[in-house]
Order: sequence, then structure tokens, then C-alpha cells
Amino acid sequence: MVLVDDGAMILRLGGGLEFLCQLDVSDASQRQLEVSRSFADLRSRVKAESLVFSLTDSALFIWPNKSFQASLDDVDESTACGELLQSEDDDGGGKKKKKDKKSPVVNLRFMMEITEPTEPSAPCLYRENKKHHCIRMVLPMDCVVTVRSDETFGSSCKRLLRALSTQLSEMEAVTLRHMKDTDVPVPRPFHFSLPTSTELVTIVYPASVDDKGLESFRKELHNRFELPDDRPYFRRSNAFHFPDEPYKTREQNYHHYMQDRMDDNGWGCAYRSLQTICSWFRQQGYMERTVPTHKEIQQALVDVGDKPAAFVGSRQWIGSIEVQAVLSHLLGVTSKILFVSQGSELPSQGRELANHFLTEGTPVMIGGGVLAHTILGVAWSETSGKIRFLILDPHYTGGEDLQTITDKGWCGWKGPEFWDQNAYYNLCLPQRPKAI
Amino acid sequence: MGRTYVADDTVQKYLSSLHTAGGVCITGLLIGQLSLQRDYVLLSTKTPHRDSDGPGEGHSSSGLLDDADLEWATEHAKQVSQMLPGGMSVLGVFLIVPPELSKEAPSTLRRLVFAIEKHISKGRLWDLTEEDITERVTLQICSKTKKALCRSFDIKDPKSSAKPADWKYQPVSSSSWPLVTCTVALDLQISLPLKSLDDICIKEGLRSWANRIKAAVCLINGKLVADESELVPGQVRDSVGLLWFCDNVYQLILSLEDMGSSAVTQCCRSFISIRGAVHCRAYLQPNKPRAKHAVEAIRKDLMNTVSCRVNMLMEDLLMNEFNDQGVMTGVQPLPHRVFVALPASDFRLCDYVFPDESIADVAERLHEMLDSRVTEESIDSSLEPTHGTHTHTHTHTLLTIHIWYNSCYLDKNLFFICLGLLLAAGIAFLAMAASLIFITRLQ
Repeated sequence: MVLVDDGAMILRLGGGLEFLCQLDVSDASQRQLEVSRSFADLRSRVKAESLVFSLTDSALFIWPNKSFQASLDDVDESTACGELLQSEDDDGGGKKKKKDKKSPVVNLRFMMEITEPTEPSAPCLYRENKKHHCIRMVLPMDCVVTVRSDETFGSSCKRLLRALSTQLSEMEAVTLRHMKDTDVPVPRPFHFSLPTSTELVTIVYPASVDDKGLESFRKELHNRFELPDDRPYFRRSNAFHFPDEPYKTREQNYHHYMQDRMDDNGWGCAYRSLQTICSWFRQQGYMERTVPTHKEIQQALVDVGDKPAAFVGSRQWIGSIEVQAVLSHLLGVTSKILFVSQGSELPSQGRELANHFLTEGTPVMIGGGVLAHTILGVAWSETSGKIRFLILDPHYTGGEDLQTITDKGWCGWKGPEFWDQNAYYNLCLPQRPKAI
Repeated sequence: MGRTYVADDTVQKYLSSLHTAGGVCITGLLIGQLSLQRDYVLLSTKTPHRDSDGPGEGHSSSGLLDDADLEWATEHAKQVSQMLPGGMSVLGVFLIVPPELSKEAPSTLRRLVFAIEKHISKGRLWDLTEEDITERVTLQICSKTKKALCRSFDIKDPKSSAKPADWKYQPVSSSSWPLVTCTVALDLQISLPLKSLDDICIKEGLRSWANRIKAAVCLINGKLVADESELVPGQVRDSVGLLWFCDNVYQLILSLEDMGSSAVTQCCRSFISIRGAVHCRAYLQPNKPRAKHAVEAIRKDLMNTVSCRVNMLMEDLLMNEFNDQGVMTGVQPLPHRVFVALPASDFRLCDYVFPDESIADVAERLHEMLDSRVTEESIDSSLEPTHGTHTHTHTHTLLTIHIWYNSCYLDKNLFFICLGLLLAAGIAFLAMAASLIFITRLQ
């Protein structure tokens, strides 16, 4: 867990470094050496005096390798990092941007100065007429250090420089490991927050390799950081989300009637519930494909032999058994089925449900009578037996208005009286896959 | 409302000194600075004489100038524009006509000014924006009455018609023109894929470099300055004793933003790397120049000087290949930029010198292009490094001796100096060895 307590903040350095490498056409043995040489060249470049850090949305530019020359008079090596948060607001134009002062992330970008070179040489053109493979890419550098707000800017920059150099070495390792002939993957850094560490851990992954191909690498990481093998701590979709970044994904998506121009009013509630569950698995990194459409769900059921071919395109309802089948077929997820003969008996399943949310945490699809719903959570008291369910109701047909959705109770806590006391209910409890 | 062109008195002197013989007309260029309120004409030069079959009488159906004359004039204009530092440009043309030919003069001037603008902007790494002034001046002078008719054309609009403009003479001093200078390190890497043409790849490489320059941040005196803030001039004397307003320090900072790209692997037949430091120089408008003008002027001069030199070198090498000197590989020095003050004005123009050329060649060229005699002493070649160590990723070290020279390139003198040093070192070593042996013998 990353502790963002008082006095801690994150300095994040980003920027592009151009990687250029010439590989011999005939001699394959030298290729790895050439790639290493190019990386070594980049490592020496980031040590150059012409390296400049700029604080985003501000007029601050500093030269960390040139005795900390700075473009603002009130900033120098001994400035505390906490004061940089104030600098970020001041973009020199007088226009105060509304910034979340509580956001402890300071974004820096690195750049290169091209004027006043230290050792100017006469301009020359060098040409080599040898057939070769030329590899070009822009390395997306992204380094992070956690600092105390009273730590000096000078020492934080030194740490960032070390992180930059280390990241280049890690990128080199990843490139060499996943290089095929003359094709190289773009090494991309991701940051992860782990339960066993107070700081963010940065891992470099090759962009072109999918999660499955990186499984062995993730296993090594789990071993290295002494993490259990049942939760995907190191999947890319589980990367740390910085407070100032726009949300790319939400916890799960609220799927309801009439969305995506699909008119399923009156028959699609279980489909929507299933979609909500799928989106949860996607956000958690267990599923890379998109959330299935109604047709895809129906096709999956046909494929497993549960329904005839005519089922696809129809408006037929599905129940929790079908939900279980689709989850198994499309996602490889197993599910437990719970059954209550009467809605009034649901509170007795309180312990079971509470346990489920504690260990698995997956949304539960509940179908009964003529309705299906999604249960996102449960509040159950062992002593009093009182229970409340957090329900996401797929019967909502309105627009994407969060206010209406919460105010009118389409997503909200409901008591046991919400259920039809006489109907029987089937619950589908998807099990979180024990995988990394 | 027409534009106002303020021309220096030296321009008037020069124009009146030009005489036409018989029915011959004289074309030439007007050089100076475009600015929002008015344009300043600082220099004028006639088109050099073309060695053709007869004295340029070219009367053809297209007017006073035949196609060959037009091409010659536009080529002259391009060469001259390459000799101008930033902030100065070819503003327009003049035409001295005998009275009997004055009817055809306006259309000739129109053809000339559009053709020149088209030729100059070929291969340029930046495009004219809305902020740039696109009016160009044409001056028609009657050879008999010396009466001058001034009109301007908008070269952005091919259908534009002549607009009347004001022309007046006034002494113009360089000391009111702020000068911006900086030295920029180049580092371009251009790959030439298998089935590609040299000049297209090089143009592409230069363009992508130019895009980064256009996006670069520019700090003035170490600080980020708002675009519209006024520049505060400072005064500094240079090596020739002239007074300049140029102590602001300009720093260009580049960043690479293209994060979404993937790795590209290409099979290439050749690789070009351009490295070294170039000196950039530009004049700003005298009337309250702003930070954005300075930044823009430096950027444009930088792009111009690099593209001009690379093109010059490539043309030169192409000619060598034609003359069977083989395809160029290895290190080739780019032409060196020298600056020279013309006798008639304080403004300094520049020229590019190849390593096998001398200062005398520069003087000769200036005489031909700008119709002006300069002394060799007034040519300043110290602003750019002439030679030094040139390290490259493919480790081609040229020289490992750091000696700064004022001359153009590697001299015979240097060789003898090195020889002398080696001999001296050798003798010293022998002496030391001898004395050691002597000392040990004594013991």
C-alpha cells in the first residue's frame, strides 16, 4: 500500500528519449552488443550538462547536472519539495489554475538544451554507405520517487537521475530479452503499489507482449517481492493510478437497459448484470477483451450447447445458470451458485455473501421471479443478523446521469424487503481466478 | 493604405550610380527588414552580369526579361538570401528602365517578384504564417528622369494586383537594431531506407528536426518570458569595435513528445549524421521588439543556416560524384559561416566557406553577389568553431589536438608545429634518459 501520509509526495519524471541503433545485416551475433551500446549511449546522455528538468505548468527549468542552475530565482538545491506544489500553480501568466492542492504528485519532464554546447565542434556531416537495419523508437521514460515534502529538491533530483539511469538499464534488459531478430518491443514502464512496500515499484514491460506471454516474468516478480500467487498484483491494468491522471477505467461499469443503443427494456436485465460482472473482471485485469454484447453472450451459450442456434438475436431471458456458463466460456471464470427457495430466506445467506465479498470481491448476479439484479456488496451484522445489500439495478432506462442514478436508488443500499419474499432466487457468485 | 518603405541613403546613392547603356534595363534586389509598421530597405544590389551572347537586350514576347534572365535573377536572389542573417530578407526588386520600355515594366516587375519569392522559399524548413508580412516591394526607376515608382504585391495571393506604396530615403543606423545571437549544437540522425532517394530522405530528416526546433522552448536570460513582453536591450562591443545590442542569452530546449509510437525497424542502405555547433544571428525590428520576435528570429535563422549548408554540401558532393571522385563516405565538414560588415553599412551579412576555399574567395563572391568591395580583414570567421575533436558513435576522431585557429581549416603550419613539438619532446626525453644514466653511473 502506498502511504500518502502527511509529508510524503511523489515526484514523477517523464519524457521521451530517442533510441537509435544500427544492426549489421549479415552478422546476427553482434546485434545484442549494438543494442547495449545504444543504451549505454543514452545513459551517458542523461548525465550530460545539457539535461533540463521542467516542472509542468510552470516556468521552472533546472539543470540538475550543471550545479543546479534554475530559471526561477527562489528555487535552488535546498528548496523543499513541498514548495514545488506552490510553484506549479504559478505559470507566469497570472491565471491561477484550479489545482487540487492535496494531490501530492509533482510532474517533471526532462528535456535537452541545444544551445551553448560545452565543447562546440565544427559542423560536419558523416555518411556511411553500408547496408544495415536501423531501429528507431522513442523510449517512454517514466520514473517515480517518493519523497518527504521537507526533503531538498536537490537530493530528490539526484534520486530521479539515478532512477532514470536504472530505468534505461531495465529497458535494455527487457529489449534484449524480447528482441526477435531485428524487431524490438517498446519497453514501457508501469508503476505498482504493493502491500509489502511503502514506495511505488516500477516494472518495465515490453509493449507488444500480452499478459499471457509475460506470466513467467510476473511469477519471478511475485517471488522477488514475496507476494502470494493468487492475485494479479503485476498486471498492467492494475498499475497505480496517479491522482492527477484522468481515469481510464472505473471500478466497474454500470451496465443497464438501453445502453449502447441496445433496446433490451424488459428482457435484458440479466444480460446487463452479466456485463457489469465482465467489466469488473476487465478492470481488475483478468480479462483483456471487451465486455460482451447481448449477441456475443447469446452466441457463447449456443457455442457451449446450452441453447439452440435460433437463440442468437432473440429476446429471451437468461438466468444465473446461463451467467455461470458464459463466465466460464468467455472468461474462464468458475462461479458458485446459491439457491434460496424464498426471498425471505436471503438474509440467512448473509454470512455466505459477506464471505464472498471479503475473499472474492466479485459482483454477484441475482435472478429470481422475473427480475435480475447485481449485488455489489453486503453489510451484515453477525450478532443482530441485520443485513443490507448494495444493489446495482439494471432496470434503469435513463441517461448517464450519476445524480439521478444515486438519488433515485438505481444504485444504492437496500434492505431485505427489497426482494420478493415469496419468489425463489438463484445467485451466481463468480470466483476470482487464482492467477497472476 | 499602402506600405511605407524607408530606404537608407546608401541605397539612394547606389541606385543613382547605376547607369544603363542604350535600351538595356537593370534588375536588382532590395534587401532589408520587414516589420509591422514599415519596411526598411538597407541594401540594394544589381543582378550580376550574365555571360550571354549579347548585352541583356532579351526582348521576347514575355517582356523585358527573357526566361534565362528571369532564372538568372531568381538564382541571384536565392544566393543573396542565403547571405542574410535572420531578420533580414529580400524585400523586393528594382528595375531601371529607359523611358521607351517603361510600359512593360510593371508586368516584368510582377513576374520577377513572384518568381523570386517562389525560388527563395523552395527547400525552406518553415512556412509563412499569418504573422509574417507577405508584401514585397517593386521599384521602377526611369533611367532618364530618375523618377521612382513604388508598388507592392502580396505574394501570398497569386492574383494580387499592384498596390501603391510610399518610398522615402532616410539615414538608417544599425545601432538601433537589436541583435540576437546564440550557438546551437546540432545532432541529426538520418537513415536512408533501401529504396529511397537521397535528397528526399535528407529533406524529410531536416523537416522532422525543424519541427522539433519549432516546438522548442526558448528561455531568455535563463527565464521563461511571456511572448508579448518587451525585450530589454543591452550594449556590447564586438571584436571589430562595433556596438551591438545583444547581451541577452537565448537558450533553446528540446523535448520529445511522441510517446505513442512503436519501434520502427527499416533496412537501410546508408546513414547520415550531422553534428557540430552553428552560430545563429538575427536582427530584430527597432521599434519595441517583443520576446516572441526574438525567439522566432532565432528559430528561423537556425533552420535557414542548417538547411542551406546541408544543401550546399550535398550539391557539392553530387558534383564530385559526377566528376568521378566517387560516392562520398566518411566525415565531410559543412561550410563554415563567416560574417562581414559591408563598407556601406553597419549591418553584417554572412557567407559560407568550404574548407578548400579561402577568405579571398569570400571577398570575391561578395563582390559578385552584392556588388561591393570588402577587405579581407573585415571578414570575421571566429564566430564558429573551425575544427576540434569530432567524436562520433562510429568513432571517427579527426584530430585530437585542441588548438583554436583563426584560419579556415587545417594548415600546413599546424603540421610543422606538431612536428616541432614532437621533436622537442623527443629531445627532452633523451636528455632526461641520458642524465639518469649519467646519475646512476656516478653512483
